[in-house]
Amino acid sequence: MNTKEQSFSPRGPVLVFSALIVLTLATVLLSGLDVGNTGALLIAMSVASVKAGLVLYFFMHLNHEPLIFKLFVALAFVTLATLFLLTFSDYAFRGIA
Amino acid sequence: MSEPAVKVEAFHHHDEEGTRLGFWLFLFTELLLFGAFFIVYGVYRTAHLNDFKIAAESLNTGIGTTNTIILLASSLTMVLSLNAMKAGRVKLAKSMLLFTMALGTTFLVIKGFEWNAKFAHHLFLQTSAAIAEGKGSPLLTPGPDMLPDGQVLFYGLYFIMTGTHALHIIIGVVWMGIVYFWISKGSINPDNAGVLERCGLYWHLVDVIWIFLFPLYYLVA
Repeated sequence: MNTKEQSFSPRGPVLVFSALIVLTLATVLLSGLDVGNTGALLIAMSVASVKAGLVLYFFMHLNHEPLIFKLFVALAFVTLATLFLLTFSDYAFRGIA
Repeated sequence: MSEPAVKVEAFHHHDEEGTRLGFWLFLFTELLLFGAFFIVYGVYRTAHLNDFKIAAESLNTGIGTTNTIILLASSLTMVLSLNAMKAGRVKLAKSMLLFTMALGTTFLVIKGFEWNAKFAHHLFLQTSAAIAEGKGSPLLTPGPDMLPDGQVLFYGLYFIMTGTHALHIIIGVVWMGIVYFWISKGSINPDNAGVLERCGLYWHLVDVIWIFLFPLYYLVA
Protein backbone atom coordinates (compact mmCIF):
# COMPACT_ATOMS: atom_id res chain seq x y z
CA MET A 1 0.00 0.00 0.00
CA ASN A 2 1.10 3.45 -0.79
CA THR A 3 0.48 5.87 2.07
CA LYS A 4 0.06 4.04 5.33
CA GLU A 5 0.54 6.90 7.74
CA GLN A 6 -1.31 9.66 5.98
CA SER A 7 -2.96 12.34 8.06
CA PHE A 8 -6.66 12.93 7.67
CA SER A 9 -7.72 15.88 5.57
CA PRO A 10 -11.20 16.20 4.09
CA ARG A 11 -10.12 18.91 1.66
CA GLY A 12 -9.49 16.82 -1.47
CA PRO A 13 -12.66 14.69 -1.27
CA VAL A 14 -14.81 17.74 -0.47
CA LEU A 15 -13.36 19.51 -3.50
CA VAL A 16 -14.20 16.55 -5.76
CA PHE A 17 -17.67 16.39 -4.21
CA SER A 18 -18.24 20.09 -4.95
CA ALA A 19 -17.26 19.52 -8.57
CA LEU A 20 -19.71 16.61 -8.76
CA ILE A 21 -22.54 18.77 -7.38
CA VAL A 22 -21.76 21.60 -9.80
CA LEU A 23 -21.77 19.12 -12.71
CA THR A 24 -25.08 17.62 -11.51
CA LEU A 25 -26.74 21.02 -11.38
CA ALA A 26 -25.17 21.92 -14.73
CA THR A 27 -26.54 18.82 -16.44
CA VAL A 28 -30.03 19.51 -15.01
CA LEU A 29 -29.90 23.10 -16.31
CA LEU A 30 -28.45 22.06 -19.69
CA SER A 31 -31.24 19.50 -20.13
CA GLY A 32 -33.60 22.47 -20.53
CA LEU A 33 -31.80 23.55 -23.71
CA ASP A 34 -33.50 22.81 -27.01
CA VAL A 35 -30.67 21.04 -28.83
CA GLY A 36 -32.59 18.10 -30.26
CA ASN A 37 -32.52 14.50 -29.14
CA THR A 38 -28.95 13.65 -30.16
CA GLY A 39 -27.58 16.89 -28.74
CA ALA A 40 -29.33 16.42 -25.40
CA LEU A 41 -28.16 12.82 -25.16
CA LEU A 42 -24.61 13.82 -26.07
CA ILE A 43 -24.47 16.59 -23.45
CA ALA A 44 -26.05 14.43 -20.71
CA MET A 45 -23.76 11.46 -21.37
CA SER A 46 -20.64 13.64 -21.60
CA VAL A 47 -21.34 15.26 -18.23
CA ALA A 48 -22.17 11.85 -16.73
CA SER A 49 -18.87 10.46 -18.05
CA VAL A 50 -16.88 13.29 -16.47
CA LYS A 51 -18.71 12.72 -13.17
CA ALA A 52 -18.08 8.97 -13.34
CA GLY A 53 -14.43 9.67 -14.14
CA LEU A 54 -14.09 11.88 -11.05
CA VAL A 55 -15.63 9.21 -8.83
CA LEU A 56 -13.45 6.46 -10.32
CA TYR A 57 -10.22 8.44 -10.26
CA PHE A 58 -10.47 10.18 -6.88
CA PHE A 59 -13.11 8.43 -4.75
CA MET A 60 -12.12 4.95 -5.89
CA HIS A 61 -8.50 5.98 -5.47
CA LEU A 62 -7.34 5.05 -8.96
CA ASN A 63 -5.03 8.06 -8.64
CA HIS A 64 -3.13 6.10 -5.97
CA GLU A 65 -3.15 2.78 -7.80
CA PRO A 66 -0.28 1.45 -9.94
CA LEU A 67 -0.48 1.80 -13.69
CA ILE A 68 -1.67 -1.79 -14.18
CA PHE A 69 -4.88 -0.97 -12.23
CA LYS A 70 -5.57 2.03 -14.41
CA LEU A 71 -5.03 -0.04 -17.55
CA PHE A 72 -7.36 -2.74 -16.19
CA VAL A 73 -10.16 -0.30 -15.56
CA ALA A 74 -9.61 1.39 -18.90
CA LEU A 75 -9.77 -2.00 -20.62
CA ALA A 76 -13.08 -2.80 -18.90
CA PHE A 77 -14.61 0.43 -20.18
CA VAL A 78 -13.19 -0.08 -23.66
CA THR A 79 -14.78 -3.55 -23.68
CA LEU A 80 -18.11 -2.08 -22.62
CA ALA A 81 -17.85 0.65 -25.26
CA THR A 82 -17.06 -1.97 -27.91
CA LEU A 83 -20.17 -3.95 -26.93
CA PHE A 84 -22.26 -0.80 -27.19
CA LEU A 85 -20.78 0.16 -30.53
CA LEU A 86 -21.24 -3.28 -32.08
CA THR A 87 -24.80 -3.70 -30.78
CA PHE A 88 -25.93 -0.29 -31.92
CA SER A 89 -24.30 -0.57 -35.33
CA ASP A 90 -26.04 -3.93 -35.71
CA TYR A 91 -29.45 -2.41 -34.89
CA ALA A 92 -28.83 0.61 -37.05
CA PHE A 93 -28.48 -1.59 -40.13
CA ARG A 94 -31.41 -3.88 -39.36
CA GLY A 95 -34.04 -1.24 -39.91
CA ILE A 96 -35.45 -1.69 -36.40
CA ALA A 97 -34.23 1.54 -34.97
CA MET B 1 12.36 -16.86 19.73
CA SER B 2 12.51 -15.15 16.38
CA GLU B 3 12.02 -18.32 14.34
CA PRO B 4 8.33 -19.04 15.15
CA ALA B 5 7.52 -15.36 14.69
CA VAL B 6 8.79 -15.55 11.13
CA LYS B 7 6.67 -18.65 10.51
CA VAL B 8 3.51 -16.97 11.80
CA GLU B 9 4.27 -14.01 9.57
CA ALA B 10 4.53 -16.33 6.57
CA PHE B 11 1.23 -18.05 7.34
CA HIS B 12 -0.62 -14.79 7.64
CA HIS B 13 0.65 -13.42 4.40
CA HIS B 14 -2.08 -11.48 2.70
CA ASP B 15 -1.75 -9.78 -0.67
CA GLU B 16 -3.80 -6.63 -0.25
CA GLU B 17 -3.10 -5.38 -3.76
CA GLY B 18 -4.03 -8.71 -5.34
CA THR B 19 -7.25 -8.78 -3.31
CA ARG B 20 -8.10 -5.30 -4.50
CA LEU B 21 -7.43 -6.21 -8.11
CA GLY B 22 -9.69 -9.25 -7.70
CA PHE B 23 -12.41 -7.02 -6.31
CA TRP B 24 -12.10 -4.73 -9.31
CA LEU B 25 -12.69 -7.80 -11.49
CA PHE B 26 -15.97 -8.36 -9.64
CA LEU B 27 -16.86 -4.72 -10.22
CA PHE B 28 -16.30 -5.25 -13.96
CA THR B 29 -18.96 -7.97 -13.95
CA GLU B 30 -21.32 -5.48 -12.32
CA LEU B 31 -20.47 -3.06 -15.07
CA LEU B 32 -21.35 -5.66 -17.69
CA LEU B 33 -24.64 -6.46 -15.91
CA PHE B 34 -25.77 -2.85 -16.00
CA GLY B 35 -24.15 -2.40 -19.41
CA ALA B 36 -26.59 -4.97 -20.79
CA PHE B 37 -29.49 -2.98 -19.30
CA PHE B 38 -28.17 0.19 -20.87
CA ILE B 39 -27.94 -1.49 -24.27
CA VAL B 40 -31.56 -2.64 -24.02
CA TYR B 41 -32.56 0.86 -22.97
CA GLY B 42 -30.63 2.38 -25.88
CA VAL B 43 -32.14 0.11 -28.52
CA TYR B 44 -35.75 0.52 -27.32
CA ARG B 45 -35.33 4.23 -26.80
CA THR B 46 -34.20 4.64 -30.40
CA ALA B 47 -37.09 2.50 -31.61
CA HIS B 48 -39.72 4.30 -29.47
CA LEU B 49 -38.25 7.75 -29.03
CA ASN B 50 -41.50 9.68 -28.63
CA ASP B 51 -43.08 7.23 -26.21
CA PHE B 52 -39.91 7.24 -24.12
CA LYS B 53 -39.99 11.03 -23.97
CA ILE B 54 -43.67 11.15 -23.01
CA ALA B 55 -43.24 8.49 -20.32
CA ALA B 56 -40.05 10.08 -18.97
CA GLU B 57 -41.96 13.31 -18.35
CA SER B 58 -43.96 11.54 -15.65
CA LEU B 59 -40.74 11.19 -13.64
CA ASN B 60 -39.97 14.04 -11.26
CA THR B 61 -36.62 15.70 -12.10
CA GLY B 62 -36.48 17.36 -8.67
CA ILE B 63 -36.71 14.00 -6.90
CA GLY B 64 -34.13 12.49 -9.26
CA THR B 65 -31.73 15.38 -8.67
CA THR B 66 -32.20 15.17 -4.90
CA ASN B 67 -31.43 11.47 -4.93
CA THR B 68 -28.36 12.06 -7.12
CA ILE B 69 -27.01 14.61 -4.64
CA ILE B 70 -27.75 12.24 -1.73
CA LEU B 71 -25.79 9.43 -3.39
CA LEU B 72 -22.88 11.73 -4.26
CA ALA B 73 -22.81 12.91 -0.64
CA SER B 74 -22.80 9.29 0.53
CA SER B 75 -19.78 8.65 -1.69
CA LEU B 76 -18.05 11.60 -0.03
CA THR B 77 -18.74 10.32 3.50
CA MET B 78 -17.60 6.84 2.42
CA VAL B 79 -14.27 8.18 1.17
CA LEU B 80 -13.86 10.23 4.35
CA SER B 81 -14.55 7.10 6.41
CA LEU B 82 -11.77 5.18 4.67
CA ASN B 83 -9.33 8.10 4.83
CA ALA B 84 -10.09 8.58 8.53
CA MET B 85 -9.53 4.88 9.16
CA LYS B 86 -6.21 4.91 7.34
CA ALA B 87 -5.17 7.94 9.37
CA GLY B 88 -5.95 6.03 12.56
CA ARG B 89 -9.07 8.01 13.46
CA VAL B 90 -11.34 5.04 14.05
CA LYS B 91 -14.16 6.96 15.75
CA LEU B 92 -14.42 9.41 12.88
CA ALA B 93 -14.34 6.52 10.41
CA LYS B 94 -17.26 4.90 12.23
CA SER B 95 -19.41 8.01 12.29
CA MET B 96 -18.70 8.68 8.60
CA LEU B 97 -19.75 5.11 7.84
CA LEU B 98 -22.97 5.67 9.79
CA PHE B 99 -23.60 8.84 7.77
CA THR B 100 -23.10 6.85 4.58
CA MET B 101 -25.60 4.23 5.71
CA ALA B 102 -28.10 6.93 6.64
CA LEU B 103 -27.75 8.59 3.23
CA GLY B 104 -28.13 5.26 1.43
CA THR B 105 -31.28 4.56 3.44
CA THR B 106 -32.63 8.04 2.66
CA PHE B 107 -32.08 7.32 -1.04
CA LEU B 108 -34.12 4.12 -0.69
CA VAL B 109 -36.96 5.85 1.19
CA ILE B 110 -37.22 8.54 -1.50
CA LYS B 111 -37.10 5.87 -4.21
CA GLY B 112 -39.86 4.02 -2.34
CA PHE B 113 -42.11 7.09 -2.33
CA GLU B 114 -41.39 7.59 -6.01
CA TRP B 115 -42.31 4.02 -6.86
CA ASN B 116 -45.39 4.26 -4.66
CA ALA B 117 -46.62 7.23 -6.67
CA LYS B 118 -46.21 5.16 -9.84
CA PHE B 119 -48.14 2.27 -8.28
CA ALA B 120 -50.93 4.69 -7.37
CA HIS B 121 -51.16 5.51 -11.07
CA HIS B 122 -51.43 1.79 -11.84
CA LEU B 123 -47.87 1.54 -13.11
CA PHE B 124 -45.98 -1.47 -11.87
CA LEU B 125 -44.28 -4.57 -13.15
CA GLN B 126 -46.72 -7.38 -13.72
CA THR B 127 -46.60 -11.04 -14.66
CA SER B 128 -48.42 -12.58 -17.60
CA ALA B 129 -50.26 -14.74 -15.04
CA ALA B 130 -51.64 -11.59 -13.39
CA ILE B 131 -52.75 -10.32 -16.79
CA ALA B 132 -54.44 -13.64 -17.58
CA GLU B 133 -56.35 -13.49 -14.27
CA GLY B 134 -57.42 -9.94 -15.00
CA LYS B 135 -55.39 -8.64 -12.04
CA GLY B 136 -52.88 -6.70 -14.09
CA SER B 137 -52.83 -2.94 -14.45
CA PRO B 138 -55.17 -1.88 -17.27
CA LEU B 139 -52.40 0.49 -18.38
CA LEU B 140 -50.03 -2.40 -19.03
CA THR B 141 -52.53 -5.09 -20.10
CA PRO B 142 -53.47 -5.46 -23.76
CA GLY B 143 -56.82 -3.75 -24.16
CA PRO B 144 -58.42 -0.36 -24.80
CA ASP B 145 -56.65 1.37 -21.87
CA MET B 146 -53.20 0.02 -22.59
CA LEU B 147 -50.37 2.50 -23.00
CA PRO B 148 -48.44 2.41 -26.29
CA ASP B 149 -45.76 -0.31 -26.42
CA GLY B 150 -42.94 2.19 -26.12
CA GLN B 151 -44.27 3.55 -22.82
CA VAL B 152 -44.85 0.07 -21.43
CA LEU B 153 -41.22 -0.69 -22.31
CA PHE B 154 -40.05 2.53 -20.68
CA TYR B 155 -41.80 1.79 -17.38
CA GLY B 156 -40.67 -1.84 -17.48
CA LEU B 157 -37.05 -0.79 -17.92
CA TYR B 158 -37.46 1.97 -15.33
CA PHE B 159 -38.62 -0.50 -12.68
CA ILE B 160 -36.07 -3.17 -13.59
CA MET B 161 -33.07 -0.82 -13.81
CA THR B 162 -33.81 1.35 -10.78
CA GLY B 163 -34.93 -1.81 -8.95
CA THR B 164 -31.67 -3.63 -9.63
CA HIS B 165 -29.82 -0.50 -8.60
CA ALA B 166 -31.89 -0.21 -5.40
CA LEU B 167 -31.07 -3.85 -4.63
CA HIS B 168 -27.38 -2.93 -4.86
CA ILE B 169 -27.98 -0.04 -2.47
CA ILE B 170 -29.66 -2.42 0.00
CA ILE B 171 -26.72 -4.85 -0.25
CA GLY B 172 -24.31 -1.93 0.21
CA VAL B 173 -26.06 -0.65 3.34
CA VAL B 174 -26.20 -4.15 4.88
CA TRP B 175 -22.52 -4.65 4.05
CA MET B 176 -21.68 -1.33 5.72
CA GLY B 177 -23.58 -2.50 8.81
CA ILE B 178 -21.40 -5.61 8.95
CA VAL B 179 -18.25 -3.54 8.39
CA TYR B 180 -19.35 -1.19 11.19
CA PHE B 181 -19.72 -4.17 13.51
CA TRP B 182 -16.26 -5.44 12.56
CA ILE B 183 -14.72 -2.03 13.15
CA SER B 184 -16.36 -1.99 16.60
CA LYS B 185 -14.89 -5.41 17.31
CA GLY B 186 -11.50 -4.21 16.13
CA SER B 187 -11.01 -6.77 13.36
CA ILE B 188 -11.10 -3.89 10.88
CA ASN B 189 -8.55 -1.35 12.06
CA PRO B 190 -6.11 1.20 10.64
CA ASP B 191 -3.63 -1.58 9.81
CA ASN B 192 -6.25 -3.84 8.28
CA ALA B 193 -8.76 -1.69 6.46
CA GLY B 194 -9.06 -3.76 3.28
CA VAL B 195 -12.67 -4.78 3.87
CA LEU B 196 -13.74 -1.19 4.47
CA GLU B 197 -11.85 -0.19 1.32
CA ARG B 198 -13.60 -2.82 -0.84
CA CYS B 199 -16.97 -1.94 0.66
CA GLY B 200 -16.21 1.65 -0.39
CA LEU B 201 -15.23 0.61 -3.92
CA TYR B 202 -18.53 -1.23 -4.25
CA TRP B 203 -20.48 1.75 -2.94
CA HIS B 204 -18.75 4.14 -5.36
CA LEU B 205 -19.49 1.86 -8.30
CA VAL B 206 -23.18 1.83 -7.36
CA ASP B 207 -22.91 5.62 -7.37
CA VAL B 208 -21.25 5.58 -10.81
CA ILE B 209 -24.14 3.50 -12.19
CA TRP B 210 -26.67 5.96 -10.79
CA ILE B 211 -24.71 8.81 -12.39
CA PHE B 212 -25.72 7.27 -15.76
CA LEU B 213 -29.24 6.16 -14.77
CA PHE B 214 -30.15 9.65 -13.60
CA PRO B 215 -29.81 11.56 -16.91
CA LEU B 216 -31.25 8.69 -18.98
CA TYR B 217 -34.47 8.55 -16.95
CA TYR B 218 -34.90 12.04 -15.53
CA LEU B 219 -33.21 14.44 -17.95
CA VAL B 220 -33.33 13.43 -21.62
CA ALA B 221 -37.13 13.53 -21.74
